[in-house]
Amino acid sequence: MTAARLIIDEVKGYHRFLKFMIVLVALGALASLLRFVFGLGVTTNLNDTYPWGLWISFDVVTAVPLAAGAFTLGAIVHCFHIKKLEPLVRPAIVTGFLGYSLVCVGLLLDLGQPHKGWHTLVYWNVHSPMFEVSMCVMAYTTVLFLEFLSPVCEKFGYRLPLRVLRWLEMPLVIAAAAISTLHQSSLGTFFLIAVDKLHALWYNPLLPLLFWMSAIFTGISIIIIEATMVHRYMNQPDESELLEVLTRILPWVLGAYLLVKLYATIFLSHGPLFDRPWLLMLFLVELGVGVVMPLVMFLNKANREDKRMQLRGATMVIFGLVLNRFNVSMFGMIQPDQQVYIPSLIESVVTVGIIAAHVLFFVLIAKYFPIFEHHPETVDYAMPDSFRKLDGAHKPAAVQAEQA
Amino acid sequence: MSTQTIDYSKNKAFLIDTTKCTGCRGCQVACKQWNQLKAEQTTFFSGEGYQNPPAMSEYTFTRIKFRDYQKDGQNEFAFYKEMCMHCNDPACASVCPVGAFKKTKEGPVIYDAQRCIGCRFCMIACPFGIPKYEWSKAFPLVRKCTGCYSRIKEGLEPACVTACPTAISYGGRDAMLKEAERRMKEKPERYYKKIYGKEEAGGTCIFYLTHQPLDELGFKPVTSRALPSYTWDALRLVPGIFLTVGGTLSALSWFNHRKERVRREEEQRRQNADQQPKEGDQQ
Repeated sequence: MTAARLIIDEVKGYHRFLKFMIVLVALGALASLLRFVFGLGVTTNLNDTYPWGLWISFDVVTAVPLAAGAFTLGAIVHCFHIKKLEPLVRPAIVTGFLGYSLVCVGLLLDLGQPHKGWHTLVYWNVHSPMFEVSMCVMAYTTVLFLEFLSPVCEKFGYRLPLRVLRWLEMPLVIAAAAISTLHQSSLGTFFLIAVDKLHALWYNPLLPLLFWMSAIFTGISIIIIEATMVHRYMNQPDESELLEVLTRILPWVLGAYLLVKLYATIFLSHGPLFDRPWLLMLFLVELGVGVVMPLVMFLNKANREDKRMQLRGATMVIFGLVLNRFNVSMFGMIQPDQQVYIPSLIESVVTVGIIAAHVLFFVLIAKYFPIFEHHPETVDYAMPDSFRKLDGAHKPAAVQAEQA
Repeated sequence: MSTQTIDYSKNKAFLIDTTKCTGCRGCQVACKQWNQLKAEQTTFFSGEGYQNPPAMSEYTFTRIKFRDYQKDGQNEFAFYKEMCMHCNDPACASVCPVGAFKKTKEGPVIYDAQRCIGCRFCMIACPFGIPKYEWSKAFPLVRKCTGCYSRIKEGLEPACVTACPTAISYGGRDAMLKEAERRMKEKPERYYKKIYGKEEAGGTCIFYLTHQPLDELGFKPVTSRALPSYTWDALRLVPGIFLTVGGTLSALSWFNHRKERVRREEEQRRQNADQQPKEGDQQ
């Protein structure tokens, strides 16, 4: 009784925004319950013409690259050794972990037989991109969970697991990058089977490569947005100086992506490119707003360093990415004479609930676990040596004095 | 998929001569009966002509499509039987994450409901739009034509074949192809110069002979390359990419950490070197 009392009092103290998020998550949960009671056909606008709708297009195909910040930053900081970005790593891992967990939730809702989801572990079909992605998503969610355990163990002062986790840090970072490379690109491979269905503006054999490259610039942009938001609304220090490193990397990735994309579209696509004005417009908006504009913007040093411009550029990249994934998985798949799919209210409420859950859990985790208190000046990076320091930090001063 | 070595010539195949089809829809009824499929609510003119039901569904595995056209000022009908094409190298089997679809050695592509997780990738992948979903259920599965696998295993012919009075021949894939070519050669004025299904999607076990051009009848133009090879081109690189990315990043981080360590050791040595002369002086 008292525990419930405590929780209720705690929740009462939350900001109005958080309470609103809780309501959205509750609505989403309720809507997903309806899906299991009444079935996919009744609760969604999916049908035999549109077997995949909002839940696949957003909750899976778009959400996976949106959660790419963790592996991108992990590789930048630990493999390319740009150590000063370390303070951004933990929030990125939390975002990634939440993102992937919610991808799993979305996927289970969308499956006709969610109770048989484990079948992918037993009945292997290596020819299926879906098999590859589901194995990778499971593996990577585990990796992210292990990485996320660090702040949890620090919070409760579990020293032994912390040592193991520290020792595992580098292998986990490398595994994260390798696994992410596979499934980010394999999400593109999904649509290589839709030979005569996906429009030539998006269908080309380099789709997996493009998906992977866009996941990298999306990961970087998400970190910029997240760090800016955290600074604005959660009283965390201004990291725009660190973000400047990211905005310096961004134009390179965007530029490379643009080159590959143009090459693939012009030389490798089959079929007419300009026959559907609406699709052409979507294609141009996706590329113009999502790639060309931020690319040009971040070529300018003043823009790279300006807090507001960083946020604006990153937001444009994310917009372009979301549009791109919808173009590939939904709009580009619509045949000329087909009716148009509009997600049902329940589908939309579930997706909104999933996004709200992401924001809500991020804020709550940040509230109760040390994910921002991980600044380079307070942590010794020499890997084996850092344990003693950590041990010392958790012992009361009196014990330390005695030992001395 | 690396199925080039498999011999499809003995697979059981359908030769559907649409010029001989009377549109009686006996095949539709036989299919419903054998598979015990529910009837669907329809209206008399639910599609073009007497086409009924309006679409294939979880309850309808095959159906006669009607096409109106004019010939010498006369109104004519053309019919075409829609069903699973039982591809040689089926896209549904290659994309299914749990391998619920299987190309049997007899020819039919069959589906194992026990394995299926309901992801609907098969529906995205199938170039002919054949797999249908049980949208009415809370935990739906996929439904599609089985090529009457249970019947042909017992030496019977598929239900629709036995019901058809005129248009469907059934037998080995090679024999059916030869028969189709023979008919085209004997009556060139009767047939359009293409056997639909011979090369579509890398070859199928259903062949259509028509009088009208295929696109006029509503046959979908489909690539002649086996669909699984499109995704396999990318997927076969997976192990290599995993090792390359993992290896490169490992090497890179080892190198960078070493650089860092050497730098730190260098610093240490310099500090020691600064201290040592002083110690020497004291001695």
